[in-house]
Amino acid sequence: MPFTKFTNLDFDQIRSQIKDYLRANSTFTDFDFEGSNFSVLIDTLAYNTYITAYNSNMIVNESFLDSATLRENVVSLARNIGYVPRSRSAAKARVNLTVQTTSTSPTMTLEAGLVCVGSVNESQFVFSVPENVTTTINSGTAKFNDLDVCQGTYLKKQFVVDGSLDQRFILQNPFIDTSTIVVKVKGASDSGEGREYELAQNILNLNKNSEIYLLQEVQDERYELLFGDGYFGKKLENGSIITVSYITTDGIDGNGAKNFAYSGRVTDNLGNVIVPSSDVTISTTSKAQNGGEIESIDSIKYFAPRIYSSQYRAVTARDYEAIIQSIYPNTESVSVVGGEELDPPEFGNVIISIKPKNGDFVSDFDKESIATKLKNYSLSGINQKIVDLKVLFVEIDSAVYYNNAKVSNINDLKSKVSSTLNTFATANINQFGGRFKYSKLCQTIDSTDSAITSNITRVRIRRNLKTLINTSAQYELCYGNKFRMDKNGFNIKSTGFGLSGKSGTFYFTDTPGENGKGVISVVKESNDKGEYEVVIKSAGTVDYVKGEILLNTITFSSTVKENNIVEIQAVPDSNDVIGLKDLYLSFSVADSEINMIKDTITSGEQISGVGYKVTSSYLNGELKRG
Amino acid sequence: MAISRESRAFRDISLSFDPHPVTKDLPILKNARAITRSVQNLVQTIPTERFFQPILGSDVRASLFDFVDFATASVIEEQIITTIDNFEPRVANVQVDVDPQPDNNTFNVTIFYDIVGQDFPTQEFSFLLEATR
Repeated sequence: MPFTKFTNLDFDQIRSQIKDYLRANSTFTDFDFEGSNFSVLIDTLAYNTYITAYNSNMIVNESFLDSATLRENVVSLARNIGYVPRSRSAAKARVNLTVQTTSTSPTMTLEAGLVCVGSVNESQFVFSVPENVTTTINSGTAKFNDLDVCQGTYLKKQFVVDGSLDQRFILQNPFIDTSTIVVKVKGASDSGEGREYELAQNILNLNKNSEIYLLQEVQDERYELLFGDGYFGKKLENGSIITVSYITTDGIDGNGAKNFAYSGRVTDNLGNVIVPSSDVTISTTSKAQNGGEIESIDSIKYFAPRIYSSQYRAVTARDYEAIIQSIYPNTESVSVVGGEELDPPEFGNVIISIKPKNGDFVSDFDKESIATKLKNYSLSGINQKIVDLKVLFVEIDSAVYYNNAKVSNINDLKSKVSSTLNTFATANINQFGGRFKYSKLCQTIDSTDSAITSNITRVRIRRNLKTLINTSAQYELCYGNKFRMDKNGFNIKSTGFGLSGKSGTFYFTDTPGENGKGVISVVKESNDKGEYEVVIKSAGTVDYVKGEILLNTITFSSTVKENNIVEIQAVPDSNDVIGLKDLYLSFSVADSEINMIKDTITSGEQISGVGYKVTSSYLNGELKRG
Repeated sequence: MAISRESRAFRDISLSFDPHPVTKDLPILKNARAITRSVQNLVQTIPTERFFQPILGSDVRASLFDFVDFATASVIEEQIITTIDNFEPRVANVQVDVDPQPDNNTFNVTIFYDIVGQDFPTQEFSFLLEATR
């Protein structure tokens, strides 16, 4: 009997195995011919085997978190280790509402539900509040300041507890932002909608009177509420009415809404509707942001075991990564550095940088909120410091040679290269602890299109110095990578800036010295001949080995770049660039240069090489950046 | 008991599954009968009917509701020849006669072929193609 492979999932292979068996063991011969009666039997057998094998394979795969593919099963397996996948999150905007009224009521209440309508990319999105907000009326004006409005529709659902064991409280709408869920339970002795129950993450510190509910994701991205059993959490009484309000959201699509039109409903202290005496004005403090999609299957598979292993305790860097991701879903990448690794060391501190999904900085409000939530998980005596992202930009200056015979439109080819680089950046580089791999990049450019024959790519690194305008200050910029030191200078270059008390545009440049160190000078472009004069000879120091620039006290008055930024670039000693410690490595394709050059040798125009445009493998000797 | 095999002989089971009256063995179709059965199976298999072999079979059934005339007969003829050429390597010199019988709303199909590598006379078998509903 031939060797039988029991793990086959391919119909044809199963069929050929059956035929092999028959060939060795049967008096029949016709199974090889498709029209034969035997062939019909073999097909039936093979199909049966195939279905059984497929089912067995699916069952086994779906039984383990690593291999499960259906969301329902992944969520269920994650639930076994206490992980609740993140729901969609509504984009939140912060606005100030001013309502004029002739009402004599002392207070005004903005009712839960629709508040305003905002637009993003020519689409309208509704914004709601999950709970009533009350403010006082002063001289006919009610102000709702710093009101957080969530993108989405406010909905309510009621359940009547019937005491049966199989009653389930499932919210039928998908796309719920679970952070907006408000649960109220009205018992026999309660008035209104009853008492508000809190969401419990786990059963620690719960007793039989705790008014809590638990939340879990069930089929089709919907959520189920679970209540206490009389031991851990208060048991629901028969006939109680559960009122659940929540917001269903469009998630990431709602991000960016800035201008809002009022559509809400306000009432007085007696619950009567107040009609505003003039148009309600809405001013936006911060535009809609932090909207996100429901946690993906891959993310659940990645974070569920990590949250489990961290046991809701932030001890190691990986614990922080998992926990921050769960309390701030907008996280794209997290860097956690123990204070003892810093220079100078800061014992007892943990330095955390977070790269949000949309944008570069976490707002002060979010930082505060993350820090507060982290306290529930962290060890006593350890301080968490959430610092702004330090981005180390990697830029390239690439000369891409192409075979003219294979190209119809050079601009198309150039955009194709840019698009490949963007994909390369997202997939390989843009993260904390990331590494820019030069050889991989060159290979990626070459393989973009068969028309590309070669490339000469030069790498530079850049950091943005955020200046304090008209304020004397010292600055330190760490690049975390050794600089290349050309003894002729031109290693450090900057964009232009203005200096207090001086006219003109100034630039930083370097003069290499002894022991891998050098001096930073400030130069000014002369009006004629494009020459430069030194304005401040010693404006700071540069440590080429550590990759660090220190600026002495200096007072900037303006910058050429927007947002008070001076871009300072250096040439890395190694073409492979790393994101050291808390540096977030970002491959800036937008600031990179791609020059398309005709390869006259390969395209056959000048096979002798005469007229071939040679590109230097080293960066230019210009004094200023750009 | 040792199993013996006859070289270049074709043996197929019969899907009637009627046991032999004496030995109670499963009936066996041999050589010419096995091939005839196979050709008939191929012609009567509707494409996509067999698992994972969507092109196996002939589409003659699709023509049964067309006019019962020589034009349709020629289409059926063509389909049968193509099917046998593609899926039955044991036969050669295939000829197909399709005789339309408009009064009965049927086609009388006769197929002639030689069995490759065997000393049999030219084989012939007929069947009726009839739209049953």
